[in-house]
Amino acid sequence: MTEALEKLRQEVRTWLEANAPRNWRETCTSHEAFLDTQRSWFAKLVEGGYGVPHWPAEWPGGGRSLAEQKVIYEEFARADTPRLLLSFMSTYHAASTLFEWGSEAQQRKYIPRILQGEIWCQGFSEPNAGSDLAGLRTRAERRGDVYVVNGQKLWSTMGQFADKCLLLVRTSDERAKQAGLTYLLLDLKTKGVTARPIRQIHGDEEFAELFLDDVEVPVEDRLGKEGQGWAVAQSTLSSERGLTLLELSARLRGSLWRLAALIRDAGREADPGVLRDFGRLATKIDATVAIADQFLATRIAGEERVGDASLVKLTYSRTLRDFTSLGIRLGGMEAQYHAPIVFGGGMETGNWMADFMNSYAWTIAGGSDEIQRNIIAERLLGMPREPKNWTLAGDVA
Amino acid sequence: MSLTRAELQDAARKAFGETGLAPDAEQSWALIADLGWLMMSVPEALEGLGLGAVAAGAIHSEFGRVLMPGPAIAQMLAIEALAAADTLAVRDELIARAMAGEVMTASLSGAVDGRLTCVPDADRASQFLIVSDARVSLMPRADAGMKVTPRETWDRTRRLFDVTFEHNADGLVLAEGAAALALAERLRAQLLFALAGDSLGGADAILQLTVDYLMVRRQFDRPLAMFQALKHRVADMKTVLSATEALFWARASAPAPSLADMGALKANATTVYRAIAEEAVQLHGGIGLTMEHHCHLFLKRAMLNCALGGDADRWEEAAGRQMLAQAVA
Repeated sequence: MTEALEKLRQEVRTWLEANAPRNWRETCTSHEAFLDTQRSWFAKLVEGGYGVPHWPAEWPGGGRSLAEQKVIYEEFARADTPRLLLSFMSTYHAASTLFEWGSEAQQRKYIPRILQGEIWCQGFSEPNAGSDLAGLRTRAERRGDVYVVNGQKLWSTMGQFADKCLLLVRTSDERAKQAGLTYLLLDLKTKGVTARPIRQIHGDEEFAELFLDDVEVPVEDRLGKEGQGWAVAQSTLSSERGLTLLELSARLRGSLWRLAALIRDAGREADPGVLRDFGRLATKIDATVAIADQFLATRIAGEERVGDASLVKLTYSRTLRDFTSLGIRLGGMEAQYHAPIVFGGGMETGNWMADFMNSYAWTIAGGSDEIQRNIIAERLLGMPREPKNWTLAGDVA
Repeated sequence: MSLTRAELQDAARKAFGETGLAPDAEQSWALIADLGWLMMSVPEALEGLGLGAVAAGAIHSEFGRVLMPGPAIAQMLAIEALAAADTLAVRDELIARAMAGEVMTASLSGAVDGRLTCVPDADRASQFLIVSDARVSLMPRADAGMKVTPRETWDRTRRLFDVTFEHNADGLVLAEGAAALALAERLRAQLLFALAGDSLGGADAILQLTVDYLMVRRQFDRPLAMFQALKHRVADMKTVLSATEALFWARASAPAPSLADMGALKANATTVYRAIAEEAVQLHGGIGLTMEHHCHLFLKRAMLNCALGGDADRWEEAAGRQMLAQAVA
């Protein structure tokens, strides 16, 4: 077992030496260069058989065990390859939702295109539906063979570059708000779709806003039944919280050298305060890797509890904040001088202020830390939900 | 012989589930010996169970959960040291006696000066393990020249002593030279691992008691557990505890964890234990600061675990130094 893994590690390492893009951290300072790098790197990975190791075995490139995936990700982190930001939603969110809910025809239509580089984004959040996702208001009205969609979506990762969108819409106002949701697969080239990038506090534009104006989606592009959207959306969300964090925590572990280099450069190798904070962080990162590992083992064994994924996400998001925070502290004044960001550089680029600000993506996106805490308290620890009715002074519930 | 972690946990909970928290020292010690938990990591060739670190971790964590009194951690160190003394004629007999429950104790201080402080249950011990980098030896209880001084700690679930020997006798030498250094290192790592396990078991128990309390205590016409401000604090505790538990089991089965790895684990686990025990007192409100409730027992044991075996400052610094040497681009 260990021998086979060691063999795989050597294989991946050798392959990366020949194929991993070089100097991309220097060249990826424009969106064009970023897109080029992302596309060609993904294509190369697919060709080499390392693009989608987490997919089921019946699809090319899939069928790797948990232990094998871990080895592959560790080697990616070690070789400092670009993270697959552009195809991230496609290979994780879109694929795992299609595997679970897609008809055979839908899978045959969409899955191979992902390997060819088709890009998916997610249309879930809205200006008035963030943490309260089920309260979303984008409407889809059935007219014959199509749904006619109107509304606005927010925080679509890579939405401005995407071809397709996982779209959660309201088809009914009756009964509970979750029961009125439906899941559609939207072609972003359809008439009536406008995508506008959102500029984040560190300067990158990883998200977009989508405006949907009488957009027609064929009924055959519905995933699950009408009214089943909330259940389908859960598989999309849990794919992100599970598998992704295995890769991200391995990357975090593999990036500790950046802090070590800062400590050495500043001549603080003997500073006990610095060593303690560094040692504490390294241990927390090991714990993050361990809980991500454990989570996936639990999931593979079919023993996952609702809330387990939240433990992993909250652990990772807080640890990433600590990591970037220590980088700023050790970077001193140097970290305060503005440096251009590397597009697609991942969570740890060594541009400490940018990395720190980017770390909010993990404490806010994909269910904020506060939502994770609610889930942990209510689902894992069995604490009661807050009462639904509320009043302002003078109002009656 | 192989037992899963879950089987051991079940066995421990069956054995100690009835006795309640901080059980009677004498009865529980007899039970521990009867159940064979002192022979946990003794090789099968020496009539032990030959189980590894994961099994030991499960047991220490269950001991922490019930605030177990007694010298179990020290006894396991003494047994481990004895098992390493291949050439000692009386080894097998001594191990057999120790596994049967004859108290052989050791220092839990984590200090490297070879002085015997923080020695549990020294008043009823027949042998004392003395560990230095140059020599590991077993000193028999002496009628003359030996001084055993009780040191009352705030934590009443353990009984610690200082021990001095007037005559600079050698005792029974278990290892010397390079072998002693390697053994001393292993014993220190085991002490740290055991303290981490004890802390995580205790942290889990007091967290559960706190959640239970929040569910039944009502103020403002609702259970406290309904207030989001409190739920979020509890969720944070659950999260850090779960991550540290994952680290604990990962290091328990790691092929060659270093002393700094175990030290950092212990630092992390005791810090988490202390933080949860502190929050537990606060969240229990008035009842939490009375002797009637169990909260204070966990808080005091957590604080003691922080101090035993070397504190977080020492081990976090060591882990930082180790990582600085390893982390190269």
